[in-house]
Amino acid sequence: MKRFVKSMLIAVVCFLVVVLWNFILPRLLPGNPIAYLSGYAEEDLTASQISYYRAALHLDEPGYRQFGYYLKSLVDGTLGYSFKKNTIVSELIMERIGATLQISLPAVILSTMIGLLWGLNAGYRKNGVLDQISTSLLIVLNAVPSFVIALILIILLCFQNRWFPYTGLSSNGMRPGNAGFFADRLWHLVLPVFTLTVAALPSRYLLMRNTTASAMDAPYILYARLRGLDAGTIRWRYLLKNIIQPFLTMVGMSVSLCVGGSLVIENVFSINGMGKLLTDAVYSLDYPLMQGILFVTTAIMTASIIVTDLICLILDPRQRKGEHYA
Amino acid sequence: MLRNKTLPFLLGIVLLALFLTAAVLPRLFTAYGQKEMFEAWEKPAADHLLGTNALGYDVFTELVYGTRDTLFIGLMSSIFTLLLGVVIGTLAAQSGVLGGLFDGIINVFVLLPRLITLIVLSAFIGTGRWHLIALIALFGWAPTARAVRERVKHLRVQPFVEALTVQGFSRRQIAIRHMLPNLADILLTRFLLGVNSCIMMESTLSFLGFGDLYHPTWGTMINLAYRRGAFLRQAYAYLLIPGFCIMLLSLAFYLISLWFSKRKEIIAESNS
Repeated sequence: MKRFVKSMLIAVVCFLVVVLWNFILPRLLPGNPIAYLSGYAEEDLTASQISYYRAALHLDEPGYRQFGYYLKSLVDGTLGYSFKKNTIVSELIMERIGATLQISLPAVILSTMIGLLWGLNAGYRKNGVLDQISTSLLIVLNAVPSFVIALILIILLCFQNRWFPYTGLSSNGMRPGNAGFFADRLWHLVLPVFTLTVAALPSRYLLMRNTTASAMDAPYILYARLRGLDAGTIRWRYLLKNIIQPFLTMVGMSVSLCVGGSLVIENVFSINGMGKLLTDAVYSLDYPLMQGILFVTTAIMTASIIVTDLICLILDPRQRKGEHYA
Repeated sequence: MLRNKTLPFLLGIVLLALFLTAAVLPRLFTAYGQKEMFEAWEKPAADHLLGTNALGYDVFTELVYGTRDTLFIGLMSSIFTLLLGVVIGTLAAQSGVLGGLFDGIINVFVLLPRLITLIVLSAFIGTGRWHLIALIALFGWAPTARAVRERVKHLRVQPFVEALTVQGFSRRQIAIRHMLPNLADILLTRFLLGVNSCIMMESTLSFLGFGDLYHPTWGTMINLAYRRGAFLRQAYAYLLIPGFCIMLLSLAFYLISLWFSKRKEIIAESNS
């Protein structure tokens, strides 16, 4: 119990750290904070514009008041104002986050399931031929950057054989709301989701395989085998319960990794998600927007860690009822 | 895992030696200069192994010269990562408020969404190659620090440290002469794995266009290839071979680190 409370606390602290440095960074870095907060270089602004931004950004008020305004923008969900795009940051993000989640969530689920099943299988028959082949394969795969996987898939499946589309999430002229649109969307999602799944798989597989392999030497497995229990029962009812925890923790921590991976993949597949938004924001020096995106991803990360910790608590009676129960 | 444990290690060493030679003596591999111009978008052929790019530079030459920058950023950021990791990990292993504070810092840095933080910070700070190295190191030290913290905590209660303390050796001497050698093996594996993840991180950032254009790495090459329309020109070698090199390089470091950690395991088993 204590451990999970601690890890949830750490996640919250991490979240607060990001909140804090989002506030401090533009004000601390050399250069006028106006440049960082509005996105326009100081030299390009007239005196009246500078005074306008000073007032709009509350830069003349004392630090704690500025921090108050900043916190307010987080609490009321606006996340600040993008002067480059003339919109509230959260609106820009809400428009795009759907696409990012459509890629990253299926990829998280798929890679978790495949990694779990495959890793459990390979670890259960450790040092078998299949284990050696698949483990070597995934070690190699682990060394391939996700954008390279995406490029290979595009070349093979979009250019050599025109099986899948390589840009966007919908074909031209598709209107939302009917079955055709849905099928078209799925067809567009196949490659990005597959890429991200393949990119996220090796770490999950290797963790699962290695924990399973070392748990196979535990006496309770030997005892279960001596009792003549079949492999399925041992695997699912005995082994999994004992080793699932680090795996779940890792999945919780890697949700934000997958969102990050999705940012890269969106750029390859020209999908208008948060990743595109972020690179656009970086190229146009739209600092408030960048900070908003960082805030949102950290929030997603914190939430996913808390959820997985809760799942661990529910699954493991030792954690819930104290160590003496074990 | 693999029955023959030296074969992957040798493979890693050979690959690494190859890349290091290319980094130090690029002239050995290519006859062309870095800025020698030819026809743009030539197909791969005997005189241009991987064709030429949009500006007419030989892609293979670019690749060979990119080795140095890729390795440089990877190695430098990994060295800084290691230094930060050792210092913070050791501090976190101390008891009391200080240790608790650094412990917390490690835990926070392990969680941070690294890629996005790096992208945002590189936009704030700039994308020179020293900026990249500093940023990658600043956000990559946490796993090393964690490993160091565990080991130092374990070492501090060992009888030999106690004996040294009783004999009146100074804390500094115990730390440097007696504890540090015991950290050598995790430092080595962490360093090798660190190079691995630093190279991956750098190539991802460079691919997204946040790399240093004056020192083009393989990631930058792929980014330029992608943006200048290598797809439509069907210059697939230009797009894929740098990625393949990133894979080989990172695999080389991984295989070498695997051998060291395996060897460590064997020693531990024979001791127990």
